[in-house]
Amino acid sequence: MHREAAGTRAAPVMQPSRRAELAAPITNTETKTTMTIVRYNYPRTSLTPLVRGASPWSSFERELDRLFTSAVSDFAVFSNAGDLDHFPVDLYEDADNHYVRAELPGVERSEINVEMVEDYLTISGKRVVPGSEGQPAETLEFTRSLAIPEAVQADKVAAVYENGVLTVTLPKREEAKPRKISIEVK
Amino acid sequence: MSVLNTLLPRRSRGETPAGRSEVSTTGTVAPFYKINETDEAYELHVFLPGVTKEGLELSLEKGEISIVARREWKKPEGWTPLYREIRTADFTLTLRHDNTFDSERVRAELKDGVLRVTLPKAEAVKPRKIQVG
Repeated sequence: MHREAAGTRAAPVMQPSRRAELAAPITNTETKTTMTIVRYNYPRTSLTPLVRGASPWSSFERELDRLFTSAVSDFAVFSNAGDLDHFPVDLYEDADNHYVRAELPGVERSEINVEMVEDYLTISGKRVVPGSEGQPAETLEFTRSLAIPEAVQADKVAAVYENGVLTVTLPKREEAKPRKISIEVK
Repeated sequence: MSVLNTLLPRRSRGETPAGRSEVSTTGTVAPFYKINETDEAYELHVFLPGVTKEGLELSLEKGEISIVARREWKKPEGWTPLYREIRTADFTLTLRHDNTFDSERVRAELKDGVLRVTLPKAEAVKPRKIQVG
């Protein structure tokens, strides 16, 4: 009887909805020791001195700018020139193949390398960005690896580059294809 | 746009991110572009992946160059998307200019998803060397 009471007392502590009870002393009925759980306060350092001339809101404004830029960059294909070495990809499948589409505008076909190593498809290459008069053309290298979710026939992978979009077709292995077996009912 | 200027923090403080279109229309994206200047011409490179000649409209109006490009690619029947990053929205780009090029001799070429527009400079703004007699 006595032990049962101790058991029911311990159980509510585990429930988050009863967290208010944590502040109250938890009494162990058997040993009569008492323990109080108090919220931990982080030690406070001295107040950050305000730089003369700087707006007290500057960190807040910077944070807003950062949030704004990250929100806006979702709507631009390439948010700035530095992003030219990153490219978006899509992955599709149908009954027989996996397909990878990659947006690579303005890249020479000979500069695109497509490799299949184990379950990873790697697309890499070089993009030549023409420079202004008197300035040499810029070469940007890019590379990206994608995990292909199913086993594919690596030797039968084919790639087509059209209108700045690379489409890679990866045929599924026979055993990975969904098979329809009809069973005769006797 | 004036409403946006007061709402958007960066714009309201007079900073405009370089290389991005001023105009944003809902449902479309601004493509990445680059402008090169030579003595003879301005060269505009616009990155439009997945756009064909048929889906591209380039117009020169008073003080503006506008590009509307539609992505022609449609997902074939039976393809199931597993992971997507490529946007399906069309591209729009409007650039303002000050009429310093010869609009009669503008050339445009679309190759591998990159539109190259050559805008030859008007004779009046070309650099000229003057011989001192």
